[in-house]
Amino acid sequence: MKPEEAKPICECTLLGLEREGMTPAVHPDVVGVGIGYKRIRGFASQDLALKVYVRQKVHPLLVKDGRAIPDEVEGVPTDVEEAGEFSIWRPIPPIYQRKVRPAMGGISIGHYAISAGTLGCLVTSGGEKFILSNNHVLANENRGAEGDPILQPGRFDGGKTDKDVLARLDTFVALDPDGTNIADAAIAQPFDERDVSPDILGIGKLRGSKDASLDEKVMKGGRTTRVTRGTVVDVSATVRVGYATGSFVFTDQMIIKGERSSFSAGGDSGSAIVSYDGRALGLLFAGSPFYTIANKMDNVQKALDVKVA
Amino acid sequence: MASVEEVKRRHEASLMKIRGVVGVGIGRKDGKDCIRVYVAKDTPKVMSAVPKDLEDVPIEIVVSGPFKAL
Repeated sequence: MKPEEAKPICECTLLGLEREGMTPAVHPDVVGVGIGYKRIRGFASQDLALKVYVRQKVHPLLVKDGRAIPDEVEGVPTDVEEAGEFSIWRPIPPIYQRKVRPAMGGISIGHYAISAGTLGCLVTSGGEKFILSNNHVLANENRGAEGDPILQPGRFDGGKTDKDVLARLDTFVALDPDGTNIADAAIAQPFDERDVSPDILGIGKLRGSKDASLDEKVMKGGRTTRVTRGTVVDVSATVRVGYATGSFVFTDQMIIKGERSSFSAGGDSGSAIVSYDGRALGLLFAGSPFYTIANKMDNVQKALDVKVA
Repeated sequence: MASVEEVKRRHEASLMKIRGVVGVGIGRKDGKDCIRVYVAKDTPKVMSAVPKDLEDVPIEIVVSGPFKAL
């Protein structure tokens, strides 16, 4: 008999599928049946066999009574393989969207009332450490108040106010709907400085900050698109940016174009733009399908009176 | 001759007022500095409303799409 013909018999006697003239039975150890090359001592042979996939393969002497898989079925050899338990694929979220302590740049964060953004990097002010991100990430577009809980991961990534609070909102640069803005930035103070790290996930430690130059190659680590690379295509842009609460005009911005695909997407707001020599150049906050916009780090540092740690 | 920065500063407000313009910046075109005008969509209306050059500084129109907070 061919393996194709013997397989339905196995499906009936081991997996419990219906078959005419036979009594279906479910073998408690079997999770699947198929056809493949018989493996002998780990090496695939040239002979086709009925593959019987079991949860756990045990020595023939330890197989429970009546549970042994027959050596052959209608003349077709069988081959028992350990497959574990088959289950539907439940993806584990990437580390960028999970709870991480110490928390570092590039991972999910947010004010308790927003969805989620990105933790940019650590900054210092008066000898104390703060987390840097956008106003619209840490201060909910001007609506946050000092002391508001900051969650890591952000609410959209499962962050809860009873167990994932990392920091408290400290100060933010207010967004001005009528005038021009230069930074969408805010800082939050961690409750415990040991809960934060100066690293940026996938990039490493920052080595201070500097101004970006035109055509410079840059990278960023963000909650949604993780580490991406791009090129600075404009360092003196004035742009109008749409927010949940209206549109705001920003001056003295930098524009970045992604290397291959998009440099950023929703949720990457707050990412630090980093030069190839490890210096912070900007703070990502907006974008279109083709371009990404970042505040200049120098402007951010001045507006908040902080220094990149 | 006025620098590209100065020309951009002088005309920025009026360029930003054109319907469909979402940004004004400075880029490089054929090895020379130029003013870049970012537009949400390349509609004939906005393409004709944006001048080709200003005070001898060429203008490059870039179709960026609308900018949104991420």
